[in-house]
Amino acid sequence: MALAVSVFLAFSSAPAWAQMPSSMDADSAAIKHCVAAWEDAWNRHDAHATATAYVEDGEFSSTTGVPSHGWKELEAHYNEIFTTFLKDAHRTDTVRSIRFLTPEIASVDIDWQMTGARTRDGKDAPNRKGLLTWVVTKHNGQWMITIYHESAF
Amino acid sequence: MISPQSKAALAVLLFLTFSAVGSGAQMASNRDADNAAIKQCVAAFADTWNSHDAHGVAMHYVEDGDFSSIRGEASHGRKELEDHYTTIFSTFLKNAHTTDTVRSIRFLAPDLASVDIDWLVTDPNAPGGVLRKGLLTWIVTKRNGQWMITIYHEQSF
Repeated sequence: MALAVSVFLAFSSAPAWAQMPSSMDADSAAIKHCVAAWEDAWNRHDAHATATAYVEDGEFSSTTGVPSHGWKELEAHYNEIFTTFLKDAHRTDTVRSIRFLTPEIASVDIDWQMTGARTRDGKDAPNRKGLLTWVVTKHNGQWMITIYHESAF
Repeated sequence: MISPQSKAALAVLLFLTFSAVGSGAQMASNRDADNAAIKQCVAAFADTWNSHDAHGVAMHYVEDGDFSSIRGEASHGRKELEDHYTTIFSTFLKNAHTTDTVRSIRFLAPDLASVDIDWLVTDPNAPGGVLRKGLLTWIVTKRNGQWMITIYHEQSF
């Protein structure tokens, strides 16, 4: 019995390790695709698509540390910014690095730039740039945003 | 008459059932203990930082830890981290004092958590006494029972 269990564990874990480097390449590519798809949804100013790139209980925190939690708050946040001071804004996101914390959890650093932003009272604002730092998790084969932080500098 | 195979299967089933129930109850108390241990890790980091001990601060990271500054400048691994802290503690932060207050902890796995920390750096010579104010966002990992910084990001606002 013990032998059967050990044999089962040996065979089930060996292929997982052997597969890891190529899975990781595929996952890195999939994470870059997730970032590109999110950027595209953002640039279409589609609040629903931007919010549903997060997991259902995903967390966002703004450049000034103001949080939104979960799809409903996230969509309301994006609706607000897309209809006010970022209604003509366009962003460019470039993945700087990906660090896997487990096979299904990764930290992603993304350089961001933005044109077309306005101040809260509607005046032209200077171009913005900074770093997005995300934690992404793989759900049913798909990488999604679990935690979104952004800094501006 | 129960066959030996059925007895063995039943034994395995009972073992799995009891270990699952036990681990469920234990998980909640482990989580509380881990929350406390993570807050302790943040407090110990702030103490070491406030004594301007570059080596001690770098040792709060895992060996291949990642740091990124408010301008996104990166340091990777204990040697670069210690060099970075040696530089800041002997130059523009030599009179600085940090106050770090844990805002939230989110567990990503039992040994992996994301921590948001409100951050205030003061210096008696700075205008208004405040040098930096913002948010630290860490990924911490439990290694040999100890929570350590795997990834450190900071933002100033």
